[in-house]
Amino acid sequence: MERNVVVRNNVTIKGKGTKPILFAPGFGCDQSVWSRVSKSFEEDYRVILFDYVGMGKSDIKAFDYEKYSTLNGYAQDVLDICEELALKDAIFVGHSVGSMIGMIASLRKPDYFSSLIMIGPSPCYLNHPPDYFGGFEKEELFGLMDMMDKNYIGWANSFASTITNDAEHPEVAEELEDRFCSTDPVVARNFAETCFFADNREDLPRVTLPTLILQCSEDVIAPTVVGEYMNQRLPVSTIRYMEARGHCPHMSHPDETVALIHEYLEKLESEKIGGLT
Amino acid sequence: MDEQLNQAPCGFLTLSTEGTIFSMNEMLLRLLGYQQDELDGQHINVILSPSAQMFFQLYFIPMVTHKGFVEEMYLSLVNHQSEEIPILLNASKKKDSQPSLIDCVFLPMQRRNDYEDQLLFANKVAKDALNKKQEAMEALEAKQAQLIKINKQNQNELQLAKKIQETSLTDAFGNDKIQIESYYKASKELSGDIYGFYQINDHQYGVILLDVMGHGISSALVTMSLQSSYQKVIPKGMSPASVMKELDSHLHYLFHHDEEAWHYCTAIYLLIDTEKQTMEYINSGHPPAIYQNKQGKQETLGATNPPLGTFEGITYHSKTIRYDKGSRLLLYTDGISELIGYSYLKELIMNSPGKSLTDLKEEMALKLKQKQKRYDQKDDQCFILVDLK
Repeated sequence: MERNVVVRNNVTIKGKGTKPILFAPGFGCDQSVWSRVSKSFEEDYRVILFDYVGMGKSDIKAFDYEKYSTLNGYAQDVLDICEELALKDAIFVGHSVGSMIGMIASLRKPDYFSSLIMIGPSPCYLNHPPDYFGGFEKEELFGLMDMMDKNYIGWANSFASTITNDAEHPEVAEELEDRFCSTDPVVARNFAETCFFADNREDLPRVTLPTLILQCSEDVIAPTVVGEYMNQRLPVSTIRYMEARGHCPHMSHPDETVALIHEYLEKLESEKIGGLT
Repeated sequence: MDEQLNQAPCGFLTLSTEGTIFSMNEMLLRLLGYQQDELDGQHINVILSPSAQMFFQLYFIPMVTHKGFVEEMYLSLVNHQSEEIPILLNASKKKDSQPSLIDCVFLPMQRRNDYEDQLLFANKVAKDALNKKQEAMEALEAKQAQLIKINKQNQNELQLAKKIQETSLTDAFGNDKIQIESYYKASKELSGDIYGFYQINDHQYGVILLDVMGHGISSALVTMSLQSSYQKVIPKGMSPASVMKELDSHLHYLFHHDEEAWHYCTAIYLLIDTEKQTMEYINSGHPPAIYQNKQGKQETLGATNPPLGTFEGITYHSKTIRYDKGSRLLLYTDGISELIGYSYLKELIMNSPGKSLTDLKEEMALKLKQKQKRYDQKDDQCFILVDLK
């Protein structure tokens, strides 16, 4: 079972340090999205990367519609990784829905984590007028899923696994070297529905860990108003507004992203020392 | 931008890595209905539908950043009139440009898109149908399992009913004047045959054999009903005509005005008097009983009346024959004669003197068993052997 967690979520461990830092991708692509950011932590930290089941080089055979129909299923996998690696006080860095998955995991087992760093997070993508503006109407989210259906990004893979009757020929899937954003379309759609229709607003006040929100400018997926909503409701949070535009600063502006994370971690460290004296 | 690219039959756009529009060709402007100055320096979101804006962040940016190119990406653009235009996009990161730029080529695909929508819709319909079929199959399997269970319960019930029917039959009987043996086998679980023999007093005995039309539950219920009826009258020593009249009336009463449930029945009843050495009998449409005297002379006790339950208000007339001591008698239902043949039965009795009644019964049972292996047993089987001593 233990060995399976590593294979199931394609867990990779890098770095020379001992303090664990866990990077959780957002919706769509695999752990390689972190390559420009995670490198700068390898000197001082134990860097842990993984893929959600169905993404990247994870074990697609572990996909379970029921389990992964809520973010809880994905959070459980994060907890499995923490348990398997015997993590304690890990820094959890999540992008987009990855932040919510980490937050849910931290609510269930706070001891595994020391702080949460959320890049472009949103507790709810749907608008709930008049009190909440998530940015999207239901039709727009369905439109996104239809667009995914028509993009065939993971189509070749799923086709290959279909014609060879997947379970008995895992080597076929392994031959496809770079899967990056390519996911089985059915799994991708399932994950998309789970992510984009999730509503975790009520969890926000229950978070116990210090949290950093990295808010991009002009982010259509996680608009500034959503980042500020989170900052207001999270008990111990800081929001930093980034120069980076869009939704993927860890890819488009890795330096700024790294700098802000370091700055925050140093601040937490100094507060801790300050608190002791 | 050179003129050829400006007029090329595709939309062309250069973006910053963050998605800001750097330049575009004439064809794209025409496709979207914008003027150049309206789009210069704007974010590409201006010409993307809300879903496409999301998709652009979720896939386009990561893929271009990570791999340096995007191929065959489907997006929907929004023109100046807010109409959506489906397009196919190829993009690649420009080498050595400073700042870093992305070249994008758009091809409108309205008709292909309509067709694809239809294909996807048809695919969804097919998948839904497949799921429904799967569900229906599962429901069917569950029903089947339920049926098997019910059938098993019914089987158990039938076995119990069979036991009850068999329990109601009279046992072999014998004294210094008379000996009676019987054989009884149902075609399925329950039989349409029934018999009984009763000692009425120290010198009179009643022997009855009935065959209700059909087999199975309904016929068996009729036999049980008839049995309760003749059990009341035979031990009283009533005449064969009265006994038959009683059973005939009972059937008419049961199926009065009910054509669907109507059952008739063949029967033979003998009132044996060991003092007078007589047999008074009535045969209502039943196969002839075979009587053989001590000298080996055979006589048949053929039909004297139509079957019971057929014509209302008939008068029953009995026949009486005297018997010698040492005579033998065989009564049987058509399930026996049809299987091993009437002439064989006669022959069997003919060759039986010297054999005990139980041996004769065993011999007949064995013969029936052998024949049965070759033919499907379709009818109930029953016979009665009587020795008059």
